[in-house]
Amino acid sequence: MAALWRASKSGSSLLMHLARPAAVTQSRSGTNYIQVNPGDPSMDWKDITDRAAGTVFITELVRGAGVVLGHLFKEPATINYPFEKGPLSPRFRGEHALRRYPSGEERCIACKLCEAICPAQAITIEAEPREDGSRRTTRYDIDMSKCIYCGFCQEACPVDAIVEGPNFEFSTETREEMLYNKEKLLSNGDKWEPEIAANLQADHLYR
Amino acid sequence: MATYLEKLRHFRQAFKQHGGMLGSLKQLYWTEELKVGTYVGADKYGNKYYENNLFFVGRNRWIQYAPQYGMDYDGSQIPSDWHRWMHNIGDTPPTAAPLVEHPWLMDHTENQAGTPGAYVGYKTTKPKIEQWVPPQSKTTQS
Amino acid sequence: MATTLTIFARKISPSALFLAKRSFCPQQLSIVRHGSSWYPDREYLKTFDGPVMYPTADALAELKPAPWNNKQVPTEKTVRNLILNFGPQHPAAHGVLRLVLHLDGETVMRADPHIGLLHRATEKLCEHKTYTQALPYFDRLDYVSMMCNEQCYCLAVEKLLNIEVPPRAKWIRTLFGELTRIANHLMGITTHALDVGAMTPFFWMFEEREKMFEFSERVSGARMHAAYVRPGGVNQDMPLGLMQDIHQWACQFSERLDEMEDVLSGNRIWKNRLQDIGVISAEDALNYGFSGVMLRGSGIKWDLRKVQPYDAYDQVEFDVPIGLRGDCYDRYLCRMEEMRQSLRIVEQCLNKMPPGEIKVDDHKIVPPSRGEMKDSMEALIHHFKLFSQGYQVPPGSTYTAIEAPKGEFGVYIVSDGSSKPYRLKIKAPGFAHLAGLEKVSRAHMLADVVAIIGTLDIVFGEVDR
Repeated sequence: MAALWRASKSGSSLLMHLARPAAVTQSRSGTNYIQVNPGDPSMDWKDITDRAAGTVFITELVRGAGVVLGHLFKEPATINYPFEKGPLSPRFRGEHALRRYPSGEERCIACKLCEAICPAQAITIEAEPREDGSRRTTRYDIDMSKCIYCGFCQEACPVDAIVEGPNFEFSTETREEMLYNKEKLLSNGDKWEPEIAANLQADHLYR
Repeated sequence: MATYLEKLRHFRQAFKQHGGMLGSLKQLYWTEELKVGTYVGADKYGNKYYENNLFFVGRNRWIQYAPQYGMDYDGSQIPSDWHRWMHNIGDTPPTAAPLVEHPWLMDHTENQAGTPGAYVGYKTTKPKIEQWVPPQSKTTQS
Repeated sequence: MATTLTIFARKISPSALFLAKRSFCPQQLSIVRHGSSWYPDREYLKTFDGPVMYPTADALAELKPAPWNNKQVPTEKTVRNLILNFGPQHPAAHGVLRLVLHLDGETVMRADPHIGLLHRATEKLCEHKTYTQALPYFDRLDYVSMMCNEQCYCLAVEKLLNIEVPPRAKWIRTLFGELTRIANHLMGITTHALDVGAMTPFFWMFEEREKMFEFSERVSGARMHAAYVRPGGVNQDMPLGLMQDIHQWACQFSERLDEMEDVLSGNRIWKNRLQDIGVISAEDALNYGFSGVMLRGSGIKWDLRKVQPYDAYDQVEFDVPIGLRGDCYDRYLCRMEEMRQSLRIVEQCLNKMPPGEIKVDDHKIVPPSRGEMKDSMEALIHHFKLFSQGYQVPPGSTYTAIEAPKGEFGVYIVSDGSSKPYRLKIKAPGFAHLAGLEKVSRAHMLADVVAIIGTLDIVFGEVDR
């Protein structure tokens, strides 16, 4: 971190000078108010002729067109999706997934914290003890059309079971396809587990 | 000037990499772009991944969808491990540092909305209300 | 004349025609049935024997000759202005604004904004959510300056809780508040230019906006609706290397601003469309409850970041741009200058970013870190308590306002001591500005209304709430 601060200090003075010099009026203690409008144009003979020449020779339009023309030769900023994709970070909150332990046992213990915290009330959970006596959900539904992707569910989960994975390409054609049930969420987890685990690992210092 | 020469050189390289005139035209038809890059790896579905850090972040990594997809390529065809590298979440491709492997992991599927394989929701619980079956007495049976 | 016509009309009444056709039907013999065309039959033609449309005496009497000097007395009519419905689907309506314009020719006599098409009952919803759950709703108010809304809400809750967030959290909030301000002004100015007819800056600046979304995504996980600023600090610390990238971005950003200014500021078309359009005097601006750039553009020296500094604004150096004429052009210049000043603040935040905690360490308010939660029973109990019930806020009420990019964004919270706000009222700057639209746009041309809507910088998420 310390190295970052030092590195970032070097360019600061440059930016300070880039702020346009303008008429500065002092008002409250230590507060500068800049007058952005230059006010009435000066009526010196030289300035009047300069302005007239500018009007006749459309200088500012030519300059603007020059800047626009210059952009023609610059590298375009367009990303050729789906061959190229925009950058994401490990924290990205996309499609939900229910994770499993490395043994293959599902993580969710039906504590219902995600259901409680969900601001949109998109999560519905029902639970009962399994045959082996452990408490598991029988129903874990997320209405993806209600979900606002705030990430509170993954923050609430004490066992890292529900996570918002990195996938954002889950658009559907019908609304019914957005009513995810437990199997769908688990299968999402099974599909995306390598990346989810790596992302959690990458971000573990901040969590 | 030098940058434009560089562009020209890049274009020639790309032309060569895609296998001359025919291959380049095919590539242009497919991706609308000719880019040259180093081959990083391929996933098990046949998608090939390239990298060229001369481009800015976002364009520096790209995918050549497997020929089996034809023109039906889709962003969701990138599997989980390469997804991470493609989106610049991590810098090491899964060929260099493989991600976790579990026996229960599922095969990647693309987004199947609109196809017969689309997800259809169903209840995972037993119904709370069961249909009443009228008691069948012997008299009615006969 | 009229009587003759009625007689004539009666003669060819449809029923008679129908009967005539039925009695004489040559069509039935041919294969092609000319069902759509009609051929006059003999009986019908018989009605035209003799004089046709011969005026009777009564009809002639009704006709009057024109006056000898050909002067017609104009008939008196009641006229009214054209009423034009502008929006809600108009691309220049910035969302779902519906304006009912009373036009005299092309001059606007009255502009009557109709709102409520994006009403989501945020205030009422927040009454039924815990203080944590209410937070994401604030992203969605002014959906162009997300983090500033969150910041205001968090400041209000913190004031009720009577807590002081750690310095690093303050600086992070300031940093992202200013990035949000830049993003908002980029959106505001470029869409304004787009409405007026300049499309190019829109494309240029959205490239920069995209980078700011990427910063937001890296710090919070969502490109727009961040839910990053929380009561008691911020959600997570900034990832390593983010400040470096923000610095790199900030170094080249003022160049991009210069480009935009080269194209717009001096441009005579831009000036002609904006100068002396939508003039609002300082007095009117105050009376109509304007805030932010709408107030400063009229020359009033008022900036909440200066007059009641919150977070780390008392520790950064920046100037406040003030307009002179109070027209659209001055407001545009103010926004440009504000972006440069924001850039200054961003750079100072990067330089002065202190190390340390990013949340208060009171686990009755902020949940413990995950590592702690998994190790310590007490932390786990706190975690469960906070995510199920939330935290109790002492009874009281507060009005906390910040200088959001669009103006003064305020949150008024009444707490009854429970974990949910008893009442929550949002003061959105856009609402007052839209109410002043009637005043600002009167006697302007129709095309100027579009420029004025652009300069008001309205976003309907916050107007309708």
